[in-house]
Amino acid sequence: MSENNVSLKVENVTKRYGDFTAVENLSFEIRAGRVFGFLGPNGAGKTTTIRMIVGITIPDEGKIRLFGSKITPQIRDRIGYLPEERGLYKKMKVQDQLRYFAALKGVSQKEADKRIDFWLDRMKLSEWKLKKTTDLSKGMSQKLQFISTMLHNPELLILDEPFSGLDPVNVEFMKEVIAEIKSQDKTIIFSTHLMETAEKLCDDILLINKSQKVLSGSLREIKASYGKNVISVRCEGGEEVLNDETLITNIIEHADEKELFLTEDADSQVVLKRLIGSGAKVTKFEMIEPSLNDIFIDNVKEK
Amino acid sequence: MQKFLAVLKREYKKVVFTWAFLITTFLMPLIASVFVIVPMFIFSIEGDKTRIAIADKAGSISKRLQENLSPKRISEKARKAAKEQLTDLNASQEEKMKRNAEQLGGNFEFVPYNAETKSIEQIKKELNAQISEKKLDAYIIIPKDISAKDARFEYYSRKAGDFVINSTLQDALNEAVRSQRLADADISEEKLKELSRKVAFDVKPLTETGEIKEEGGSFWMAFIVAMLIYIVLAVYGQAIMSAIVEEKETRISEVLFSSAKPFELMMGKLVGVGLAGLTQLAIWIASVLILLSFGFVSAIMSGAEITLPKITASMVIYFFIFFLLGYFIYATIYALIGSMVTNMQEGGQFAFPPIMLLLIGLYFCFAVVRDPNSTFAFWVSIAPFFAPIVMPVRILSEIPPFWQIALAIIINLVAIIGLTWVASRVYRVGMLMYGKRATIPEVWKWIRQS
Repeated sequence: MSENNVSLKVENVTKRYGDFTAVENLSFEIRAGRVFGFLGPNGAGKTTTIRMIVGITIPDEGKIRLFGSKITPQIRDRIGYLPEERGLYKKMKVQDQLRYFAALKGVSQKEADKRIDFWLDRMKLSEWKLKKTTDLSKGMSQKLQFISTMLHNPELLILDEPFSGLDPVNVEFMKEVIAEIKSQDKTIIFSTHLMETAEKLCDDILLINKSQKVLSGSLREIKASYGKNVISVRCEGGEEVLNDETLITNIIEHADEKELFLTEDADSQVVLKRLIGSGAKVTKFEMIEPSLNDIFIDNVKEK
Repeated sequence: MQKFLAVLKREYKKVVFTWAFLITTFLMPLIASVFVIVPMFIFSIEGDKTRIAIADKAGSISKRLQENLSPKRISEKARKAAKEQLTDLNASQEEKMKRNAEQLGGNFEFVPYNAETKSIEQIKKELNAQISEKKLDAYIIIPKDISAKDARFEYYSRKAGDFVINSTLQDALNEAVRSQRLADADISEEKLKELSRKVAFDVKPLTETGEIKEEGGSFWMAFIVAMLIYIVLAVYGQAIMSAIVEEKETRISEVLFSSAKPFELMMGKLVGVGLAGLTQLAIWIASVLILLSFGFVSAIMSGAEITLPKITASMVIYFFIFFLLGYFIYATIYALIGSMVTNMQEGGQFAFPPIMLLLIGLYFCFAVVRDPNSTFAFWVSIAPFFAPIVMPVRILSEIPPFWQIALAIIINLVAIIGLTWVASRVYRVGMLMYGKRATIPEVWKWIRQS
């Protein structure tokens, strides 16, 4: 992986608050143009890590490099950050509010006005442009805040729980928008504890728990590495194969199919061959990929 | 710098473009001008005259009473009474009094009536008849023996509720009767006046070098200025605190801190709100100056003697300098408190100490005005926290040596730098601490750590 392919590089970062270690010796890389799932239970250290990336706090140890350089004010203007704790000025008008956040990111007012119109239209909020923020519903203000993170056209977008508080229709709408942004070669860090959403959106994931890295890599590879030992089968007959303890350790019976847990060195192809050989009628034979949720729970529980 | 300006612009607009600001800024001078202009109009309106008949059975009172009620006499009397209370009348007071007197005196129209031979019943009957014919508004019956102990002076009036007329009449009658009694006892009024004259007690203020100082109404100016500074500092300090608490409570600070340096954010806020305060003060002071000139112009036109309060350009400049010093001291303290607390209620409790400091400063002003050159006045007028209120008062009462003013400015600048240093440290940690109020030991740690 070449250096300019990497948007963000976190190296051996540790952050302590008094006796409490929020992040311990964390290292990872995010490749440009990918959606990176930053996963972990509440209190794992996600927000602390993100705060260090956006330069709100400084790591006690280790270093963070953004677009191949140290974090400087100029570099920070290339990040869009949607924090988990949403906040807008309640009494400000929608347009003024967006202008202000754009100005804080160094966008000229002329350019900002153009982008504000574009994004209000895209997020279906145009008619609210001159209204006060208090008049907006919760979902609308969330979309407004999302716009505020996009106005300076960031190359790296950090979304901390972007769907919380949105209704299902708006969640789908936001996913569409995020997919669109991804297609423009932007890097997206997507922090969540909702595995189902992460599973659908992310290319790569990093799972942290209790301040430490648990798992990282491409989502497909991780799932593949976890999925090789479980098979979903629907068949009639073949009991002697299923009862062979050298092949199968455990069976969970569902209504009309079975989940087979294979032994360490059993090969699924051998199981299929033996089943057919025994004269069983096989109507379904499928390798099961564990859901991200299972992997998450599995990893978090162990610790 | 660009981001600092963005913050400054927003904060300034946020304060200035609100109804509350526009109303207080422009309505206050308007209300004040109403208080100056409306009385002028009212005093120029002539009321209906009270037609009064004097049924003088003694025969000697009527002439004296009419004389006492003449505009000239009333005005002279009012002036004398005021001189006894105040050492120095200012122009507008004098002007007002003169108008008052003219109006009062011009308010009586005497209807001739000869009562000497008539009985009281007859007088009442005849005059009541005149009143019912609307030829008369009131009459007064003066008994034959004015010196008798049970002598009663009866006043009948359709306008008996007009207490101003009643008391004017009573005073004039008292005096007329007294003069008559003196005349009866062979004591001339001039003699009595000469004997009962008050001593002339003339206060001449001295400067430190022993020269007689010209005094120009600066005493009350000093108090107004002290109050003005106190109110503006308290109001804008609280405004800073609530703005900071809002950002903390709504978590806007999280986004802000990812976009700009905490120091830029804090200073942008302080300077922006400060400029808004300066705008308001400038408008107020300009309108006060305009009002004063209007008031005095009208006074000059009516020929009154003028003593303008001596306000020099340097006084105005010092006023703004010390206002700014005070603003930055107290705004920084409020910013510090705002970033420590979690909501406005908590902020309200913690707002007490700076208000206390301001109040103490205000009370010191009383002592300083009484003796602007005392050692005490020197120390409190250069002390941090107090100087921004006390020094302008001292400058107005009696301008201190320049080195003292300079010393006060330097000491308070140093205080501001120190406070800003502390506040910015607390701000950048405190703004990201949610849900829990920071304790003093914690805050102390933040200050030392970063």
